[in-house]
Amino acid sequence: MDRYTEMTADPGPRPAIPLATFSLAFDASPTSMLVTDARAEDHPIAWVNEAFLELTGYARHEVIGRNCRFLRGPDTDPAEVERMRRAVRAAEPISCELLNYRKDGTPFWNGMTINPVRDAQGRLLCFFAAQADMTEKHRLELAMRGTNDELERQVGERTADLEHALAQKTALLHEVDHRVKNNLQVISSLMLLKARRTPAGDAQDALQGMADRIGALSTAHRMLYSAGDVSHFDLSDFASDFLADVNAAVDSDRTRIEAEVESVSVAAAMAAPLALLIHELTANAIRHAFPDARPGRITVVAQRRESDLDIIISDDGVGLTDAAPNPAGFGRNLVEMLVRQLRGRVTWLDNAPGTRVEVRVPLQERA
Amino acid sequence: MRGTHPAGGGNPDRPALRILVVEDEALIALELECLLDDLGHVTVGVAGSSREAIALGRETAPDVALVDIHLTDGPTGIEVARALSTDPRTTVVFMTANAKRIPEDFAGALGVIAKPYSERVVASTLDYVAGGRTGCDRRSCPDGFSLAPDGPQA
Repeated sequence: MDRYTEMTADPGPRPAIPLATFSLAFDASPTSMLVTDARAEDHPIAWVNEAFLELTGYARHEVIGRNCRFLRGPDTDPAEVERMRRAVRAAEPISCELLNYRKDGTPFWNGMTINPVRDAQGRLLCFFAAQADMTEKHRLELAMRGTNDELERQVGERTADLEHALAQKTALLHEVDHRVKNNLQVISSLMLLKARRTPAGDAQDALQGMADRIGALSTAHRMLYSAGDVSHFDLSDFASDFLADVNAAVDSDRTRIEAEVESVSVAAAMAAPLALLIHELTANAIRHAFPDARPGRITVVAQRRESDLDIIISDDGVGLTDAAPNPAGFGRNLVEMLVRQLRGRVTWLDNAPGTRVEVRVPLQERA
Repeated sequence: MRGTHPAGGGNPDRPALRILVVEDEALIALELECLLDDLGHVTVGVAGSSREAIALGRETAPDVALVDIHLTDGPTGIEVARALSTDPRTTVVFMTANAKRIPEDFAGALGVIAKPYSERVVASTLDYVAGGRTGCDRRSCPDGFSLAPDGPQA
């Protein structure tokens, strides 16, 4: 039972307010209101307030005695009307929103609540309805939906652009990667062909040495981009392939190369210098540590020490002081250059027996 | 590493293979021929385009075809592999810097040698193929050589 019925039927302990006061209050309310007579045929309007007349643009005499349906128009939703009609027939309260039309034909969204009013015996007397103009709310909702659609369209467009750009970039990366690898193969083939056609001696050794260096670079480059991570490569993957190549080339009965290389993720920019460095130190040991068919062992160790990488290459050969003087000394020069490039340091030690070279380079990228 | 290669002059335990080289880079093809010779194998032909490759394949029925993907007429090495592998006498091995272009079924190839390759990987892959052809254990797949996902089909 709503408040109006309660007050008129049974004021109870509340202070008595004359009915006329209610009437004045409702008349003066800024909320549009009306009452329909539920006992009369077709529920004619029995009372409206000023706000209702203002909202709809009708005069009082034009609405009293008529059913509310004159407010409907061509775009009023019949389903919503049917929902309202059913509630009224069942004398149940309902809230609904209908597109209604003013006297001058302009539409407005009418958000209303309709409540049945009963007497003390429960007999249906009338319906009380309050209306609010929801046009602005609808407009905002519509604008919001439009804005959302537009935003989604823009986001979709940009995403498609970015995906396209990424696909192009990926294709370009593959193309460049392919060309670099292919060129390395061409360079390597060129060196080897020239070495084959050069008589045995210093020139052939130099060519073969260069081909081996290119081979080490090639092995490092093959590791790059082959896995998902384009910015890093795994030093142990490199070492196992590289040392397999080296071991295949040495007389395995005489020289043994052992490796203990931790799986360390290294920035791609360090791949080439590290590959050359490990190649030079290993090749130096093979070339100089074991003169006169002396048998021996070379150990390659690489491990992470906090933010540094330690590479230790040692042999049990003749040692630095007893090795034949090497005026060209290109290998050692190259090592010192590469270590400088990697901002590390290198220590050459007489291992008695043999040589031990310790290299420490920072793993973190320079700021 | 020439001359000291353990397989230099041919692996006495393995038969010499008759090999077709499908490669458009003349320098790579020539050096590969020398290497195959060092290893004791026989190069039956060198082709730079897909047409040449398929014709030479039909003509020579090689034991092994080493096939690059990019040839003078485009990325046609895939078609070449498909055509050559229909002959049961031929084992196709891709040799490419562009392994990402290989289709999922490997176009009938046994596997791929990634470029830039080392001589050792070529040698051990051919040993592996020869071993397979004479019925040896195929599980010891050399590193630097990747098998097709559905494994050897020869």
